[in-house]
Amino acid sequence: MLLNTASAVISFLIKLEEETAKFYEELSRKYPEGKEIFQSLSKENERNKSMIQRVYYGVITDALEACFSFKEGMDSQKYVVKIEAVEGASFVSILKSAIEIEEIIKKAYIDAAELSEGLMADVSQAFRAVARKRSDRIAKLAAILSEGK
Amino acid sequence: MVLLEEPIKEVLTIKNYIGGEWVESKGEIADVINPATCKVIARVPLSTEDEVDEAVESAKKAFPEWRRTPPLARARYLFRLKELLEEHFEELSRIQTMEHGKTIDESRGETRRGIENVEVATGIPSLMMGYNLEDVAVGIDEYVIRQPLGVFGIIAPFNFPFMIPLWFAPYAVATGNCVVIKPSSEVPISQFKLAELVEEAGFPPGVWNVVNGGRAVVSAMLTHPDIVGICFVGSTPVAKDVIYRKCGETGKRVIAQAGAKNFLLIMPDADLERTIAACMTSFYGNTGQRCLSGANLIIVGEGLNEHEYNAFYKKVVNAFVESASKIRVGYGLDESVQMGPLRDKGKKERVVKFIEKGIEEGAKLVLDGRNIKLVGDWPHDCFLNPSVFEEVTPDMTIGREEIFGPVASIMRARSFDEAIEMIHSNPYGNAASIFTSSGKWAREFQYRVQCGNIGINIGIVAPMAFFPFSGMKNSFFGVLHGQGQEAIRFFTESKVVIQRWF
Repeated sequence: MLLNTASAVISFLIKLEEETAKFYEELSRKYPEGKEIFQSLSKENERNKSMIQRVYYGVITDALEACFSFKEGMDSQKYVVKIEAVEGASFVSILKSAIEIEEIIKKAYIDAAELSEGLMADVSQAFRAVARKRSDRIAKLAAILSEGK
Repeated sequence: MVLLEEPIKEVLTIKNYIGGEWVESKGEIADVINPATCKVIARVPLSTEDEVDEAVESAKKAFPEWRRTPPLARARYLFRLKELLEEHFEELSRIQTMEHGKTIDESRGETRRGIENVEVATGIPSLMMGYNLEDVAVGIDEYVIRQPLGVFGIIAPFNFPFMIPLWFAPYAVATGNCVVIKPSSEVPISQFKLAELVEEAGFPPGVWNVVNGGRAVVSAMLTHPDIVGICFVGSTPVAKDVIYRKCGETGKRVIAQAGAKNFLLIMPDADLERTIAACMTSFYGNTGQRCLSGANLIIVGEGLNEHEYNAFYKKVVNAFVESASKIRVGYGLDESVQMGPLRDKGKKERVVKFIEKGIEEGAKLVLDGRNIKLVGDWPHDCFLNPSVFEEVTPDMTIGREEIFGPVASIMRARSFDEAIEMIHSNPYGNAASIFTSSGKWAREFQYRVQCGNIGINIGIVAPMAFFPFSGMKNSFFGVLHGQGQEAIRFFTESKVVIQRWF
């Protein structure tokens, strides 16, 4: 799917946040050893969703180039990732999946930020802020993974 | 193609909102059509003169108590309205797309701008303050009090069905006046929904009234002795020859915002990539149906020799045409769509006539928007794709008159001075923009250009709610403008008190 307008990009990123929130919520129930971290990640997803919604709905005006800020647009296929907890997967394997998911979502945010920074700077800054949070959580998950090994 | 859910599921019956009641009109009924789907989405009454009288009477009756309501209490009604508008943000935005045709991003932009005016008006306890000076003579003090005037009429156009009445109404009621709003009968649903939220916010009956209709309603408002002022946004012939003239005759205050023919200059030192993206929004945003839309693009050759200028000109034209040709046109509830339809079939036909006239007068049509390519399978009735003309001169019809559609006219100017002369040769003075990396040219442009709204690397010079929406020459008739402090002054009388105590 072509993501070429602010509305399309925001909808796509919100969907990713919602799906990952559900994913971590499910992991927190299935994996008691990771309950705390998974719950906190799920809550952070909700906050990310609110933040990007707020920045979009807060700054959008008809004077900004919302329909044209994302240049040629993004292809949603580049960020396809299975956001689901595979039945019976080990804790280590689920951590690896989570890191993979986070890397892809981080890439989506960075690409969206790069495209929009010229004309919708507020939105772009919010995307970069979420991408930084994604880097932090990747580091946290990797640390738990290395402890688990 | 995935569409966002339509908020209007069945044909709505629009009623007038008079004295806090939803009233059925005795007038004829007209259909409201979604220009993308060509389906009827509402039925709107064309109200009678008597119904205008009823609304004005209700407003007049509500005025004494409303003006005595403390400004802080009036502000709290507006705070409640603001909260409700935020709660209904998405619904209001999608309604605009359905009734007008604009894209969902554009509709949300319009909703936000409307809400911002409500937000600014909530500051009325500070905004409405007068001023004073002690001891104008020994023991004598003098001060100014701002007082409301009564009932104001607001006559809205079709291109921003939600936002434009909010350039005026929040300030009018915040200052203690009452309003009668006449939405465009082509797009009455946004104001119908807004009035529902006004009712929910608890405004006293008669403070905010909506009378739907056409010319009969406008005539009745203009001649009504109890309407003290009119706010109008629409075409120049109506603003100048009807609204401004009639308000002069009847002694009403007036803000009449009119048509435009906006020029954008591209200097050789402009950041071309961002400039072109800004131009797409300017020329094709809202399908070119806004008084701040770019119309004429002047490619300026200041400081370049003939060869360099031709190369620069070609580079800009190619980039502009390439971007315009890629614009995705369709139903605005599809999030990938960047330009919606014209508001109706007649408006499309009018734009097509301009395109034909451009060809006839010798301009070069390099992108023909009459070749319709849509995202999705929609009736072509109201759609056009973007058009681009080259070799346009300011005296050609398409270079001179307001097209109000997705057509760009590209012009040449060898120098900055020549470009300024081209702008000034046009009778309109709404907006003009320059794209440059030079502070010198930007400052010179801002200083010299006779237009009310100046953009420096900005394609749509839409003033925020806390600034006046300006306009000059044939684009504005009146003295004070809508929005912000000027609106506060428009809706109040300055009363001077000089006091001495013996």
